[in-house]
Amino acid sequence: MVNWVHPGLLILLGSLLIPVIKHRALKKIYFLSLPIAALIILVLTSYGIFGDIPFSTWRIPFLGYDLVFGRIDKLSMVFAYVFVIAAICMNIYALHVDRDWEYVSAMFYVGSALGVVFAGDLITLYIFWEIMAWSSLLLIWFRGTRKAHEAGFRYIMWHLFGGTSLLAGIIIYVLNTGSIAFERFPWGFGWDYLPSYLVLLGFIINAAVPPLHAWLPDAYPEATVTGAVYMTAFTTKSAVYTLIRGFPGVELLMWLGAIMAMYGVIYAVLENDGRRLLAYHIISQVGYMVCGVGIGTEIAINGATAHAFCHILYKALLFMGMGAVIEVTGRSKFTELGGIYKYMPITFWLYMIGAFSISGFPLFNGFVSKTMTVHASALIHQPIIWLLLEGASIGTFLHTGLKLPWNVWFAREKPADVEAREPPKNMLAGMGLTAFLCVFFGVYPGYKILYDMLPYPVHYEPYALGHVIEMSQLLLSTFLGFWVLRGMLHGEPKISLDTDWLFRLAGRKFIWFCEQPLITFAEIIDGALRKIADFFAWLANNPAVASRMLVALTGAIVFKPFNPLNEKYERDLNELKRVYSDEAVHRMGIGTGVLLALIFFTLYLFIYLSYGVLWR
Amino acid sequence: MDETTLKRLLGIYYFFLFVGVLAGVLYYFLGHPHFIFLWDRIPAFHSLFGFTGCVLIIVVSKALGHYWLMKDEDYYEKRRW
Repeated sequence: MVNWVHPGLLILLGSLLIPVIKHRALKKIYFLSLPIAALIILVLTSYGIFGDIPFSTWRIPFLGYDLVFGRIDKLSMVFAYVFVIAAICMNIYALHVDRDWEYVSAMFYVGSALGVVFAGDLITLYIFWEIMAWSSLLLIWFRGTRKAHEAGFRYIMWHLFGGTSLLAGIIIYVLNTGSIAFERFPWGFGWDYLPSYLVLLGFIINAAVPPLHAWLPDAYPEATVTGAVYMTAFTTKSAVYTLIRGFPGVELLMWLGAIMAMYGVIYAVLENDGRRLLAYHIISQVGYMVCGVGIGTEIAINGATAHAFCHILYKALLFMGMGAVIEVTGRSKFTELGGIYKYMPITFWLYMIGAFSISGFPLFNGFVSKTMTVHASALIHQPIIWLLLEGASIGTFLHTGLKLPWNVWFAREKPADVEAREPPKNMLAGMGLTAFLCVFFGVYPGYKILYDMLPYPVHYEPYALGHVIEMSQLLLSTFLGFWVLRGMLHGEPKISLDTDWLFRLAGRKFIWFCEQPLITFAEIIDGALRKIADFFAWLANNPAVASRMLVALTGAIVFKPFNPLNEKYERDLNELKRVYSDEAVHRMGIGTGVLLALIFFTLYLFIYLSYGVLWR
Repeated sequence: MDETTLKRLLGIYYFFLFVGVLAGVLYYFLGHPHFIFLWDRIPAFHSLFGFTGCVLIIVVSKALGHYWLMKDEDYYEKRRW
């Protein structure tokens, strides 16, 4: 039996060599070979080279617990496959970029997402969860604009909050149960389930469930062209994976998911920025998956998993298409684009394959996964859920399939100051490969392969006559609605307020509170303490003279009424002051003290932990 | 896109729309549809749903946007909290 190699850690640690390689072509080949190597490992795993699936490996003792880096079963394998396949397409798309550290952070991001998928325990999960948040932050900041900078800060604050909630939940859970295994969390109503609630909160922030979703449409459109493509795939879908693991069949999620599917659609109508429109449709599409997890039946879990698989591919393709437009024109707003079909037809058609897929056209991959989830809602007789999900399908085609391409490629004559041509060849190649996969998994034998990879046996035939006819009717008549009302769907140079308005308000108020009342209070305390400290510093400088001086001073005050003696005291006092050397004491702020203490404790913790792991 | 191409494309589209509705109706009467919800008993329901859903989504969202959610692009820079 051969030892399993962790594909996530391979990509993550392997990426550190990228800046070291100086030869440009070699660097690109190496960058591309990282996910390919991971794919080879996955294929070998599927063939049982490392053991019969399911198995768990890479157990590492840590603080008296067993960390499990490799939990391999059908669910983790299907997510790992799509992560790695998508990473290959994305790396091809990103080959023209010459920023080493952007490559490294993208690969850290991919690797840590794989780490989350293979994590068999909660501590490992948390570690990779945080790496994912920070590495994706860099993909936003590499854009280099002021907007990206600010959106990045908001992005990381959301994820820090989610991560902290997750960590708190994990700690309470581990203390309560004594186990760090990442299994299904207990669910119910009451304080006993507090750890489950906290963990769920962490998960649904990453899954961008409203009202905790605002970071996604805020940050993704501000990321670099290639960085945003990576971001579409990993954060939300790894969250869906953890939801499937931890909270299948939680009814709350079913409702949240269905609302979420519609929520994204409504905002997409209002949106003027191409990538932001697509970002709202990530929320909408993840809604189907969250809803499927909430329904929790075998077909619903299969549907959610299959939809995550297909979604990663077509959403990456859509972001690649819109990204290509931004790359060559430098514009992303509908009001500033239009009429570029003549100049970028290949990009248009590749984008449209993604659009047909997300809309669920028969013969494209969205069809075989989306209908399965919607069908699952019908099987449990939930009319409202069904209407919301099916209604969101209409909106999906309306925006990604009609509104966006209409406004970007057609709608009006090309503005004179917009330069348009096809993007670099590697971008087209990346899009071409992704488009091929979108079609491949939508037709025989692709969708059978996909269905075989799902966690439960599939008894669902997407190409049953009824499904095909229903979906075709839905999409054809959606176009009619679009054509009638197309005048209303032009972009408007506006932004739409989202739930982050509330959080921005709270943030402002919090900063005001810190700057005004809190600082005033601190200054009072600080001033008093500083006076005491000053006194002791003065005293310590020359205690013998200082104490004599104090006595003299007291005497001067006490004997003030008896004039003759007072003169002597004053003389003594002046003499002592002359003798006393008052050196200036260099003093640093209280923050320095805190920082030094923190450094000390961090070092201590580091040494303690390394000692625990390495020299047991 | 010139007018004649557009007209021709629209013609093809209307044909497909008609075929879709027809297929829905035929399937309703000749096929074996499963009636799960009340509306499954309406022939070619999905065509109706697609069109009304599309119109509703556009009109309701735009109304929400214009009366409440949509603000100028520099809203967050200008706003005094």
